[in-house]
Amino acid sequence: MPAPREIALEVNGRRQVLHLDPSAPLLAVLRNDLALNGPKYGCGLGECGACTVLLDGRAVRSCVLPLSRTEGRRVTTLEGLGTIEAPHPVQAAFIAEQGAQCGYCLNGMIMTTVALLERNPAPSEAQIREALAHNLCRCGTHMEILAAVRRAAAERAA
Amino acid sequence: MRARRETDRQGLLRQDGVLAITRRRAPVPGTEPGANERDEEDVFVAVFDDGSVAAFNGHVDLGTGIRTALAQIVAEELDVRLDQVNMVLGHTGRTPDQGPTIASETIQISAVPLRQAAAEARRTLLALAAARLGTEALQVSEGVVSAGDGRSVSYAELLHGAREVVPLSGAAPLKRVEEYRIVGQPVPRLDIPAKATGGLVFVHDMRVPGMLHGRVVRPPYAGLDAGAFIGNSLLSVERDSVAHIPGLVDVVVIGDFVGVVAEREEEAARAARELRVAWKAFTAPASLDDVERALRENPSTRRILRDTGDVDAALAGAARRLPRSYSWPYQMHGSIGPSCAVAEWAEGRLQLWSGTQNPHMLRAALAQLMAMPEARIEVTRMEAAGCYGRNCADDVCGDAALLSRAVGRPVRVQLTREQEHLWEPKGSAQLIDVDGGLDAAGGVAAYDFVSRYPSNDAPLLGLLLTGQVKAEPAVLQMGDRTAIPPYDYPAMRIAVEDMPPIVRASWMRGVSSLPSTFAHESWIDECAAEAGVDPVEYRLRYLKDARAIDLVKAVAERAGWEKRTGPRMKAEGDILRGQGFAYALYVHSKFPGYGAAWAAWVAEVEVNRRTGEVTATRIVTGHDAGLMINPDGVRHQVHGNVIQATSRVLKERVSFENGLVASQEWGGYPILDFCEVPEIEVLMMPRPEEPPLGAGESASVPSAAAIANAIFDATGVRFRRVPFTPEVIREGLRPVMQAEAKRMRRRWFAGFGGLAGGLVVAAGAAIGWASAMAPAKPPGADVFSAAQIERGRLLAAAGDCAVCHTTPGGVANAGGLALDTGFGRIWSTNITPDVETGIGAYSFAAFQRAMRQGIARDGRHLYPAFPYTAYSKMTDEDLLALYAYLMAQAPVRSVVPDTKLAFPYNIRPLMAGWNLLFHRPGAMEPDPAMPAEWNRGNYLVNALGHCGACHTPRNALGAERGGAARFAGAVVEGWEAPALSSLSRAPVPWTEADFYSYLRTGHSPRHGVAAGSMAPVVADLQALPDADIRAMAHYLASLNPVPAEVDPAPLVAAAAMGPRQGGSEGARLFQGACAACHGGDAQEGPEVALALNSNVHSDRPDNLLRVILDGIRPPIPGHGEMPAFRDSLSDRQVETLARFIRANFAPGRAPWGNLPQAVARLRATPAH
Repeated sequence: MPAPREIALEVNGRRQVLHLDPSAPLLAVLRNDLALNGPKYGCGLGECGACTVLLDGRAVRSCVLPLSRTEGRRVTTLEGLGTIEAPHPVQAAFIAEQGAQCGYCLNGMIMTTVALLERNPAPSEAQIREALAHNLCRCGTHMEILAAVRRAAAERAA
Repeated sequence: MRARRETDRQGLLRQDGVLAITRRRAPVPGTEPGANERDEEDVFVAVFDDGSVAAFNGHVDLGTGIRTALAQIVAEELDVRLDQVNMVLGHTGRTPDQGPTIASETIQISAVPLRQAAAEARRTLLALAAARLGTEALQVSEGVVSAGDGRSVSYAELLHGAREVVPLSGAAPLKRVEEYRIVGQPVPRLDIPAKATGGLVFVHDMRVPGMLHGRVVRPPYAGLDAGAFIGNSLLSVERDSVAHIPGLVDVVVIGDFVGVVAEREEEAARAARELRVAWKAFTAPASLDDVERALRENPSTRRILRDTGDVDAALAGAARRLPRSYSWPYQMHGSIGPSCAVAEWAEGRLQLWSGTQNPHMLRAALAQLMAMPEARIEVTRMEAAGCYGRNCADDVCGDAALLSRAVGRPVRVQLTREQEHLWEPKGSAQLIDVDGGLDAAGGVAAYDFVSRYPSNDAPLLGLLLTGQVKAEPAVLQMGDRTAIPPYDYPAMRIAVEDMPPIVRASWMRGVSSLPSTFAHESWIDECAAEAGVDPVEYRLRYLKDARAIDLVKAVAERAGWEKRTGPRMKAEGDILRGQGFAYALYVHSKFPGYGAAWAAWVAEVEVNRRTGEVTATRIVTGHDAGLMINPDGVRHQVHGNVIQATSRVLKERVSFENGLVASQEWGGYPILDFCEVPEIEVLMMPRPEEPPLGAGESASVPSAAAIANAIFDATGVRFRRVPFTPEVIREGLRPVMQAEAKRMRRRWFAGFGGLAGGLVVAAGAAIGWASAMAPAKPPGADVFSAAQIERGRLLAAAGDCAVCHTTPGGVANAGGLALDTGFGRIWSTNITPDVETGIGAYSFAAFQRAMRQGIARDGRHLYPAFPYTAYSKMTDEDLLALYAYLMAQAPVRSVVPDTKLAFPYNIRPLMAGWNLLFHRPGAMEPDPAMPAEWNRGNYLVNALGHCGACHTPRNALGAERGGAARFAGAVVEGWEAPALSSLSRAPVPWTEADFYSYLRTGHSPRHGVAAGSMAPVVADLQALPDADIRAMAHYLASLNPVPAEVDPAPLVAAAAMGPRQGGSEGARLFQGACAACHGGDAQEGPEVALALNSNVHSDRPDNLLRVILDGIRPPIPGHGEMPAFRDSLSDRQVETLARFIRANFAPGRAPWGNLPQAVARLRATPAH
């Protein structure tokens, strides 16, 4: 295990300087050191997507990402998108379409959608499904989630 | 001062400014007599002097949205706004005990007193208002009571200074449906905004001051909860094995319960992984390779649920007998978030934050586990990842409670994905035998149904592991849900074989009703086909329930039901299309139980007769839930049921190996993904006048039969075993199709044994002692120039000194790394300038001799694990610079273990003979015919870099071979060092640019990532200037003829479809475990298409297997991190996955022949 050292990164627009083991999973650091609730532990293997965050705007799986990978870079979590009073348009679309049953996978769905719409503002139905294919939902909220992504894309275009 | 809203029951009732509707109940066990009189009073509804309302229900929201629906009920009866109501669910200190949240009972049963209490509160407030306003002609709207004359008073005003505790009479008038304004309206869920923005909602997010992190280490009898070995299998726990982990607080052992507690979560996780625990051997009670047989052999007691008509006579007289068996596999809840809990044990009280489904039942179990009265335990229910029955949510509470008590601080315990998969009580397998017959007219003569369902209430795991409860499984009567078919057959005998669990199993969505309905609805479909009657029409002949008949007709019409008298087998190429029907009234709870919502499915499928893939393309579901409190909520539940049930029917089966659960992650237990989700249409029957019925499970009940019947329509073949995976379909269609057609980097030891070894003994014995050289005083820091030292630093990097002379996490070059060899363990030495334990006493001459001849200062021969055969080629100038650098390091006192090889290898002088045979000392001379860059590359590769030490095969005595064998590849410490010569198996040839990219960054997009023993080599090469890396690349490329360019794109494209199609277990493992990153674009990093990866194309599976087992920690962050699957996949799964990867991504290569042995061998090789 590498020795702790200072690692500076930007999380949700704020510079953070952490003295930690550089191999610590980003997910644990975000949740336990920065008290963020958005990214969730789901599998620790990069399989399910519950831990998704944006790294310089790209959706990545924080459970298998060592902290060292984020050094000097920009991390955005669910909290960094918007607030309950002023949600990000994608968060608002998920709320409007009721895109959650238990809501544990919701973080990954929203973060993946934000990244998708950044690189492809008008995705086809097949492209939406493909982009979310490795984000698992067990409650069967897929219909509402797909509707939320379509709504977010449509509102972005409007 | 306003009344407090966030308080326990007693606090609530002891303050002014409150109206509470209450009901007396038996005291909580453990309550001191008379101590808490108020604790014997349940509160259902409380209205406060600020106009807000708290409403209390013992059930919890499992993600179904009942929090919102219950709030609607309360707001409606009380005439307040929805946002005035705060629902408190499943809190032992605040809500009534209404049993576990199971069986779709919340709306149907546990909401009844809530509704009455809200009505009671309204009646009480109206009476107060009537007294205040002097009239009984009053109207209420949004919590304000108005008289006809314009005067009004709010609930808040009425309650100022008041304390009204009113018993729930159940007699307050309820609103009529026509008066509803809130109930029956689609209402957005109250919990989603906070969940969508990262609010504190889930138990996983709970943080308590001073909280520590815990992990548990479970016994090897994964998923079993019955057997004499449970609770007494622990042999030993080596606490020292984790003593080095920083932040470790405690290792807690009670019986078979083992847990670790640390300051940081990743420290706890590491401690749980590295803790050495020894367990007794045990025998799993039954082989579950053949689940049907295991169910048949499980001891049972027959219970007849119904016996009407003379079944035996009817069967004997039947014109046609249709005996059939239907089976269902073990399945998982598979909550996306593994269970988590926070416990705080202090001063004899236990506070718990939990995602439990049954807070009061949990509290009773915890009281037993902790040997403390229930009244001293408070369970606060927070939201958890959706569960569909009993998962590990309660177990983890027991874990957290035990760990918190042990360390005296709050502890958060997070189960791992693997633990949740292995230990969650499964949805049980089920086997149903139907005997039945048709009369001469094609009508049903008799139906004889026997069901086996080994499941119970899965006692709290902590009670079993600590040995407080004997692991003797209770037999519960759970196999009878919806066991009686909805059809009016003339003779019917319905029986259940009540039996104990075989593996840990408990209630899961639909309990036994899904399999029972699979049998009922498949069998009647067979009868219709036998009789040549349309299956919907046939069902209607036997349905007597008017609501059922309405529903069946409505769904058939909406779906565009195509009448048929047999399977239609519509084909288009390899695709066969079909449509199937099924209906069910979900009957739940203790027999005879209650009916929840009615449901019917029309499923449309496509079957690929070549690959066996079944795609559900469209599901039309009809649903009659009576009055729908929140129609949007009901629709979402129907969607969820359709998708989850489709997943269960098409994909899900817990796999077992040696009687134990083997599915530990999503590759081993795949579920439906977005690309596989069908089009869904929901038809909701409008019945606002009928009582509201549970909607959490009903819509999943007809699933399997509707899909099986659609597959029959498409193929003409009946499938009676869930799930309908491609293998099952291919197997079932085969007759039809046939009819149609007619680290050991240093492996100088390889073979260094037996006779050959004997020769060396003889040769070496005569000449084998070298003289010791006098110890020198270490040179001072000022002896060498900064430039020399810097040059030496680069040489040390290129020579990879630190790779072997440093332990993971240890001080650079202080030695102590164990190199496990076939001849024994060699320990690398301390090469810092410490006089006693390092090389501080080496003069330059002694250093030179060691580097060129492999002889230590004291005259001992060094084993050629130290690559002096390569270093010997270094120039004197470079050796001096390297010496300068090593001597300029800070001396570190580090005693490393002596290398003690077994006889004859322990006789170091023998190495002199070896050197005579194979070692040619002396500096390398440049080749004047070649350019300077080539010569530099040659020097770096062959002298300093000693690449051949790994990449060139050795002869029988462990010396590098020459000629064509140079750089022909070899195996080192369980890693293959692939051929660098033209013998490379890479599908796209290595070019100079590829070599450069690989050595510089640790990965080549056209070949792969440096892992295993190569990773630290690349890390060290970071120190070298670009020119040197280019020289190495130039030299290495010169070993091969100029390769023909290969376009990688078609290779990559051709391999893309295999995982997606999921046609084999290997494909599904890949899709679930690997495809998110490999092809799925879900992770940043070098995307090395597996179709191009050298390891996948190699003649040996070693590197691929090692990467799967141990992951990749790349030399440079960002260049190919991969998690290890050692603890997540079984040997058999790794083998299956590797076989698929080979076949799919290297289709031109022969299958690897020795996979099972290779996996076992490499798993036994420790990861470095």
